[in-house]
Amino acid sequence: MEDSIGKVVIPGDILQNLDEKKGKIKVTVGPGLIRDGSHIAVTKSGILRHREPSVFWVDCHQKRYVPARGDNVIGIVTAKQGDVFKVDIGSSEPASLSFMAFEAATKRNRPNLNVGDCVNAKLLVANKDCEPELVCIDSYGRSSGLGILPNEGFLLQCSIGLVRQLLRNKFNVLTFLGKAIQYEVAIGMNGRIWLHCHTVRETIAISNAICRSELMSDEEVQIMSKKVVDSLQGFE
Amino acid sequence: MSCLKQSNLRGFACEQSCLTRSDGSATFNQGETTVLAAVYGPVEVKLSKEHVEKAAVDVIYKPKVGIPGCKEKATEQLIKSTCETVLLVALHPRTAVVIVLQEMQNTGSLLSCCINACCQALMDAGINMRCLVCAVTTTVDQEGHIILDPTSKQEEDGKAVLTFAFDSKTNGVIMTTTSGIYSSQEYQECLLSAQHASAKIFEFYRDSILKKLSRVS
Amino acid sequence: MKDHPLSNCEEKFVLAAIAENRRFDGRGVYIYRPIVILYGHDRGCCHVQIGCTRVLAQVSCEVIIPKQTRPNEGVLHMNVELSPMACPSFEAGKQSDYGVEVNRALERLLRDSLCIDLESLCIMSGEKVWQIRVDVHVLNHDGNLIDCSSIAAIAALSHFRRPDVTVSGEEVTIHPLDEKDAVPLSVNHIPLSVTFAFFDQGRTLLVDPTDQEERVMDGKMVVGINKHRELCMLHVSGKMLVLQDQVVRCVNIAAARVGEITDLIKDTLEKDNAARKSGKEFGFAKCLADVILGVDDLLKHYVDSMSVDTTSVGQTAKTVVDADGNRVQMEVDNAETGNVSIKVPGTGKMSTNTEGGAVTWCEGEESDSDVILLDKNDSTSSEVSSKQVSAVVELSDSEEESVLMTSQDLERTELSKSRAIETRENRGGRCRGKSFGGRNRGKRGRGNGQRYF
Repeated sequence: MEDSIGKVVIPGDILQNLDEKKGKIKVTVGPGLIRDGSHIAVTKSGILRHREPSVFWVDCHQKRYVPARGDNVIGIVTAKQGDVFKVDIGSSEPASLSFMAFEAATKRNRPNLNVGDCVNAKLLVANKDCEPELVCIDSYGRSSGLGILPNEGFLLQCSIGLVRQLLRNKFNVLTFLGKAIQYEVAIGMNGRIWLHCHTVRETIAISNAICRSELMSDEEVQIMSKKVVDSLQGFE
Repeated sequence: MSCLKQSNLRGFACEQSCLTRSDGSATFNQGETTVLAAVYGPVEVKLSKEHVEKAAVDVIYKPKVGIPGCKEKATEQLIKSTCETVLLVALHPRTAVVIVLQEMQNTGSLLSCCINACCQALMDAGINMRCLVCAVTTTVDQEGHIILDPTSKQEEDGKAVLTFAFDSKTNGVIMTTTSGIYSSQEYQECLLSAQHASAKIFEFYRDSILKKLSRVS
Repeated sequence: MKDHPLSNCEEKFVLAAIAENRRFDGRGVYIYRPIVILYGHDRGCCHVQIGCTRVLAQVSCEVIIPKQTRPNEGVLHMNVELSPMACPSFEAGKQSDYGVEVNRALERLLRDSLCIDLESLCIMSGEKVWQIRVDVHVLNHDGNLIDCSSIAAIAALSHFRRPDVTVSGEEVTIHPLDEKDAVPLSVNHIPLSVTFAFFDQGRTLLVDPTDQEERVMDGKMVVGINKHRELCMLHVSGKMLVLQDQVVRCVNIAAARVGEITDLIKDTLEKDNAARKSGKEFGFAKCLADVILGVDDLLKHYVDSMSVDTTSVGQTAKTVVDADGNRVQMEVDNAETGNVSIKVPGTGKMSTNTEGGAVTWCEGEESDSDVILLDKNDSTSSEVSSKQVSAVVELSDSEEESVLMTSQDLERTELSKSRAIETRENRGGRCRGKSFGGRNRGKRGRGNGQRYF
């Protein structure tokens, strides 16, 4: 399994025969890998990643989000049902967000959330058998960056793979662009990015740059970001 | 003893992520036969089709001309049963995986092209799969010779058309559909030659994914 | 399936961008996205791409009896399919309001503007005419479906060739394609549509809106016009009021755009005809291969014809067949003749749900089981009290109202099993039972908890 780290794997590939290794080994498998009897088999096509000490997963460029507990997602409110908001997070089921799950929310002091608003929330409950649940506070009751996103700004839809790439790489298209342009960004693990810049032109430029950087290598991303920054500053 | 007349597969071409609205899409070409497949999944499902313990697989096959009829429904059922075998449907209960196929050009071996396009689209969509699947069509002509990946004319002139779908792990048969008359010897020869051909198709799948992700760090 | 909802911030931003005359792809307000027209292997097959919007059109022909009110004219039938692959909110089979709108717009544009000479489609007046059917499939929806479909439909109609026909007296001969060259349709003019999206109560307008722009627009106007500046269709929808000078302005812009697109269609048609004549390859596969070899696109992969090593296949197949044959022969030899040998006691069960399903063999379930197989004329038939009949399958439609009924929870006793076998053997394998659904003839065969579905 160690030889395949960083390499492309496809469904059906068998990575490790657990019987071969003697003694106890503890291997944590993430998305894209599954234990199939005495093997660890691949279920998605992508690149095998590894984190110390023994966590393995497959990075797949998929578009559809499958809820996982603890993910920060950006949802769009679709309905108000009594005390609960129904929020679309791009999964097969809409998630529920209680009005009490906001910082400083009480029964009298309800959050000012309307249908169509964007909200940055964390998944509290997310498994395949239940409806997903969101919260906008952490376990201490503080918002820590979560909550309603202001109406200025733009919501960009992209693939899950791209979002993970942005969050994983220290130097990515956002850092390159951030050296020249001021912006505010909220990245949701469900493939949604909320972006806010001073002008419309900058927002459009950055969102186009982000979308195009998905299958590019680092050098190409650097060259493209430079071009974008030059063209923006050239006109200013 | 029958022998193989044509053991050449026509040139393959594929394009992934060609559609922007669906979760996964692929165009697959076998010679001149072209099929476009789009996949959505896992998405919400109607209550009537909901399964409590697994995802419902829904296949929609659209012919180029006319309104879909019985033949199209039969094709849909074949593809659905093939896909249900390879998809890990138990991981997504109460959801649906919707596969839409559009015939773009048909010059023979349409069913195998559909299944290959399906597999590419499922890979592109990133739905959990046990293994990959590919399909090969063979024809037995009037003299009893086997033809791999036949054209429409060869299919019409032959006395039997057999399509097999294989999985990538064990190279076992997932689906068989035949029409026409053939002997057991001819059947076994078709099956074995299709199995040899499927190895080439799996290689093609792997190469196309390697190419797609070649620049990602 | 639901498409992702439009958020307030997205709507606000797109409107603000349009107010500044900025579009996401950097286009001008009156500029089209790049249009790509490809022709398929079959005649009359055309694939058009405007940006990311993709549409496939196929033309086919059939001989039918003409309408009584128009005995000299052929029929042009348009069918637009909004496939679920184009957008998750499109449903297969059911046509939504938007589908009807696109369908009607295309019909008015092509059929009502008489772009095809219908009288030339007549074979025999009042008896036989050609029906030209245009199937338009929308493959990907990124806005401006009507324009894309109109280009695909008219390009496919211009590309199509119908079989040649000779009429001698009462005899009509339709020549197959290898006998006589196919004949093109007589296209009078090429009508195309141009869509305008209106914003800010008609103050701003855009040509060729993308899906994002369509979602936030106030309304739209579709102008159908040909190269000679003849208006063929005008369609306004949405919640806005259109002023007279705006209509004139739009028609002028549309005329300019249509001129360019008509030239593009003619150009691509000529190239395709030249390729077919000179024997070069044509069709979608060739176009895809060209693109791959020309540009290094990571998402496209191409491999030439491959040969498969099948030298050992014949020998291996023979070995398998022989081995299998020997095994079957051994089983036949070992089987007792004259007796029905049941390897494992059990029941053959038909599927109990009304949709059908697999026939299964269930291993022996003993104790008070009853069989419903019963001949109504057989006075010695035992009392059968089946516990629960969950479904009934009608096997034969003979005049005798006899139907084989089995149930999912059917269980047999040893006694009834042997009697059933005897019954079957005597009657050569046909079992009769109670009739389904209809009249209940007497109380025979009905026991506790028996249900008829």
